Amino acid sequence: MKKALLLVIPAAALAVAATALGQSNRASGPTRAGVNGSTQITCGKTRAIGLMAPFTGPAASIGTDQVHWASYWRTQYNRSHKTKIRYVNEDTQLGAANGTAEAVKGAQALASNSAVLGVIGPAGSNEVKATTGALKGAGLGWVSGSSTNTQVTLDGTRRGYFFRTVPPDSSQSKSVSAYITKKLKLKRVYIIDDQEAYSIGLADEVQSQLRAKGVTVSRDGVSQQQSDFSSLIAKIPRNYQLVYIPWQLPPKGQAFGRQLKSSGRGSMKLMGSDGLFDPLFSGVGSNVYDSFFPVNTKSALVKAYKKSHGGKGEYFGAPTYVAAQVVTGAIDRACKDGKATRAEVRAQIKRTNLKNSLLGIPIRFDKNGDMRKKPFGIWKSVKGQFVAVA
Amino acid sequence: MALILSSVHLVTGLPLAIDWSLFFAELVNGLTLGSIYALIALGYTMVYGILKLLNFAHGDVYMVGAFIGFFVLQWLGGPLTPAVTGWLAVSIMFAVAMVGCGFLGVGIERFAYRPLRNAPRIAPLISALGVSIFLQNSALLLWGPEFRDYDTFDLIGIKTYNIGANFFISNVQILTIAASIGLMLLLALLVSRTRAGKAMRATSFDREAAEMMGISVDRVVSFTFFVGSALAAAGGVMFGIVFGQIFSLMGFFAGLKGFTAAVVGGIGSIPGAMLGGLLIGLTESFATGYLPGGATYANLYVFALLIAMFLIRPSGLLGSPAIQKV
Repeated sequence: MKKALLLVIPAAALAVAATALGQSNRASGPTRAGVNGSTQITCGKTRAIGLMAPFTGPAASIGTDQVHWASYWRTQYNRSHKTKIRYVNEDTQLGAANGTAEAVKGAQALASNSAVLGVIGPAGSNEVKATTGALKGAGLGWVSGSSTNTQVTLDGTRRGYFFRTVPPDSSQSKSVSAYITKKLKLKRVYIIDDQEAYSIGLADEVQSQLRAKGVTVSRDGVSQQQSDFSSLIAKIPRNYQLVYIPWQLPPKGQAFGRQLKSSGRGSMKLMGSDGLFDPLFSGVGSNVYDSFFPVNTKSALVKAYKKSHGGKGEYFGAPTYVAAQVVTGAIDRACKDGKATRAEVRAQIKRTNLKNSLLGIPIRFDKNGDMRKKPFGIWKSVKGQFVAVA
Repeated sequence: MALILSSVHLVTGLPLAIDWSLFFAELVNGLTLGSIYALIALGYTMVYGILKLLNFAHGDVYMVGAFIGFFVLQWLGGPLTPAVTGWLAVSIMFAVAMVGCGFLGVGIERFAYRPLRNAPRIAPLISALGVSIFLQNSALLLWGPEFRDYDTFDLIGIKTYNIGANFFISNVQILTIAASIGLMLLLALLVSRTRAGKAMRATSFDREAAEMMGISVDRVVSFTFFVGSALAAAGGVMFGIVFGQIFSLMGFFAGLKGFTAAVVGGIGSIPGAMLGGLLIGLTESFATGYLPGGATYANLYVFALLIAMFLIRPSGLLGSPAIQKV
């Protein structure tokens, strides 16, 4: 019995800690039903912002990047301002077996929390679509740092409520296909998506644009959870010149690149998307390319971030830093008289005008909630680091 | 032959001429992957053989083994600057992971399954699922969601050997296949030639009778869990070495494939688990290489094989049908 207790007590402690880590802090902050866009909220000294991200689940590794950058913004802001911000965390478990259910539950919790003035996230475009009812119904404005599906802003459903600090797939795909056809002048490209909505959408757009330009394109897909790419690599014809992998997980891109090399296809060019913009991927070799915002990876801000995060840039989370900056700025402006409604915060998000941002572009939104300037640069690996080439 | 090839071509759209380079590449990939599945399947089949329990936590023991191997590598100085030679480091990783997971398996059996040994069969099954989720979330909490990199390239260097014009195999693939075959042979010897093996067979055949003959069933069950979990750990370390990366949720699908392999081979049969593992690995690999949308739907083909096996031969390839006294 004693032995059993000895095992059960630490196990229970571990389980409680795990639960605490994985669960949102739904209990924090005042809550009451019936909060909407026109409800007056006392801003107070500490303002609450919802943070929706995949804290756990299959996409937790990229969710961590977003949470780290959002937290970095909070630390910077709280250090330099009299008013403070706090996050009400909601774990969306992106990619989990129960689909977008956790994201919807999280959105409902934020919607009914009368302290919450605006929301950062969620990460996935499917989550953005699924949470629209709850967030829009409660009058909340929300800004995603990674939802890139082109239609999310164009269908009009979320106009005035949803904004994003990442350019849509249509913008990224144009840069990628133009570089492949005009600069690299390639004729045979193999595209492999990772079976996630982000990846499939981007792969579809690049595929159709390349085919329209006369490029021979073959297409395949592989699960994001897979680490063995050897069978897939074996079927890529050796006369193909480039493999395009618009994936979200840099370690997977690294593993694919290494297995491509060890299969004797090291001379093939390999191109990733913004999800793979990471030293892990650039370290694969000199024939590795990527598309990303014109972020200055040598800026003081990035250097300081890397210093406090074990040397990791975690660039996938950079747009979430900007999303946090946008929401906080909007709340500050709306709260000038000490009170604000969610509608006022939304209006202020729409009026955002950041002349410089971490992404290397000014942040202003068009009527659909997209950034007005949405350039995507092409980067090439040089001595293990990405260098802008277009 | 030509008629068969033409028929296959007409039905599936596959090319008439065989690309031998692709064929051998998929064969080697399939055998490598299948060797790992076989090691996992052995644990499932051994436990089922003794306790008639589906130990769904087994895939997560495999994950823990991969992590133990990784941390041992870090403890030895990491892949770039190992304190010992690369191959010695690999041997130590295998040894520590196997012993560590062996004891983990014994602990799981002692605290999660033994108290339920005489309970209805659904109870230990639910307990197994609970242990699986507990291990997954503990790994997530302790080691985070990040992917960990074995960096085998730096540790032992990947060398590819060409045999003829079309056959390529790397040193880590040879290591994986050879080590798996070696471990399976050792297990076969253990079960067929030792007293412990004889006790395992007796317990599997009739637990109560074995107990009456003076065999300590508890000890046999613990030993079975130790061996099964150690083999899963070896599979985890092999996976890290061959495919480079490990993560907290890697055990779920691997466990499912290992379970499928055990069922296809005939659950309870040790040679069946080996055969099933290799068959699943080869199916996955050849499906990826040859079938339409193969990489996308590889799992579909694998589980279709499982369903087909149930329909054609419910007891599996080498399993024996259960005989019920009436």
